Parts: sequence; structure tokens; C-alpha cells
Amino acid sequence: MTIFISGGAKNGKSTLAQELAVQLAKGSSLYYVATMIPADEEDRDRIRRHIADRDGMGFETLECGRDILSCLENADREGTFLLDSATALLLNELFPDPTSCGMDDAAPRRCAEGLCEFARRVKNAVIVSDYIYSDAALYDEVTETYRRGLAYVDRCLAKVCDTVAEVSCGNVILHKGVLPE
Amino acid sequence: MILVIGGAYQGKLDYAKESFGVQEASVFRCTEDTIDFSKTCITELEQFTLACTRSGRNARAYLEENREKWENSVILCQDLFCGVVPLGAEMRAWRQETGRLLQYLSREAAEVHRVFCGLGQRLK
Repeated sequence: MTIFISGGAKNGKSTLAQELAVQLAKGSSLYYVATMIPADEEDRDRIRRHIADRDGMGFETLECGRDILSCLENADREGTFLLDSATALLLNELFPDPTSCGMDDAAPRRCAEGLCEFARRVKNAVIVSDYIYSDAALYDEVTETYRRGLAYVDRCLAKVCDTVAEVSCGNVILHKGVLPE
Repeated sequence: MILVIGGAYQGKLDYAKESFGVQEASVFRCTEDTIDFSKTCITELEQFTLACTRSGRNARAYLEENREKWENSVILCQDLFCGVVPLGAEMRAWRQETGRLLQYLSREAAEVHRVFCGLGQRLK
């Protein structure tokens, strides 16, 4: 089963995703695919908090900031994969050199294809993204390219995943499919 | 009238084409503070409200005056009112203008749909 989760920041997406992944795994292989490449102490702090959050839940961490299919090379595809998040993955792929704003325009399509293929190859996947599309702001072209790119990735994932859920203040709005029993 | 709202790049127009048989030739994309009501699908309404904010036109009054012209249309607009209150006065005015207009249009609409990641949900 594949589940796509999105919603606003700090609304409980990761918590729900972790619960669902544990539920889907039913004791079989359980992986946490960490996509964030830490750039500073703030990032490393957030990662430490996330690791503490899932301590004892039985996740094996696979670090994969780019080329998402590569993390499956040594993993049990019959297992359950929690991928958090599409947002960070696209960021890493769209800006290959973090010291500049130079963009790889092919990144959104490559990310979308990689993630959809990922969802097809594994038994269970829970993929988290971020909903950043409902504010009144006119962004610069670089930010707008990122937003447009992530929305494209999201729409592709929503199409291929069995279930699409939006999280709002910890509550689930189901847009497609069902949640596991 | 059918109103379709949703965040930026969520696939509102594709959804309108699939669900309501909207044809590309009948789509009007807003860029200024006027609307060509001869087209039966009006999209990017938030660009119309942005232009109204800048020109001083009352967006809701303009729609009300032309009510019979869009009665059977499909209208698409970005829901841009979920973020933090913007610091800039123009963005603030734009957000308010759009929100007020959509409340009016939502009341007048026979159907209201919200599109999330390409998937539609009927709200009314």
C-alpha cells in the first residue's frame, strides 16, 4: 500500500506517517528514508529531534538526499518505507550546489519519476510532502520554480499512490483511498 | 456557476477540463482588472483581484454588475488566504479582496470544488 501525506507545517504529518508506517510493516522490515542533507546546526538539531521521536519504533534509517531509487539497492523491497520528505528531496535535486541559487531545471520531473517508481517498487510506502500553496505572496522566480516543481511532484504522487491524505492540526482529510485498518 | 478553488499549481484547470468538459478555447486567463465574460471558463481570478487591488477597482462590485454574464460559467481561483497576514499593504489588500470576492462567489455558486494535489473535493 502506498500513502501520500501533505499539509501545512507542524500539523502532525510526520507523526501520522510514522504511525501508519509501523502499522503497515506489521513487524516486517521498516525503513525511514531520510532525505534532508543538513546544512547547519539548526538542521542537525531538527534531525536529532526526529531521530529521538522515532526511537524505539523499529525504523532502520536510510540516508538518501538525491537519486531516491539508490536507497533501495540494499533494502528489502517487501518492507515498509517512510520517506520524509519529497520537499527536501526536491530541494537537494533542484539546487545541486547549496552555495549558489543555480537550478537544475530537470529536477522536478526527475524527482517525480523517481518517487513514483519508488512507490511502485516497494510493498509499502508512506511519502510526506509539504503544502505551501495557499498564501498571498508574490515570490521571486527561484522560489516560484521550487513551488511549481514541488506541486508537480505532489500531483504525480497523488495520482499513483493508493491513498492521499491531508493533515490539518493533526486531523486527517482523506482525498483518495482509505487508511490501513 | 461552478467555483473551483485550490492552492497554486494544484491542477485546477486540468480538473475543470476533466470534470466539467471545459475546452481550452473557452478559457479566459485573467491578467488585468477586466474580464472577458464571453469565455465560459474564467481562470486565475486571483490575477484579476491583484490587478483590481492595484487599480482601485472594486472586484466584487464588478462581478455583481456583470452577474448574468457568468451565471453559467466555471470560475477558478487560487485560495491564497491561508498564510500569515502579509506585511505589505498591497498583498494584504489583495488577500482581503480575494477572500471577500470568493465568499460572494461561493454563495452564488451551484457547486464549489476544492482541488488538492490534482484531486477534487466538492465543498458545496
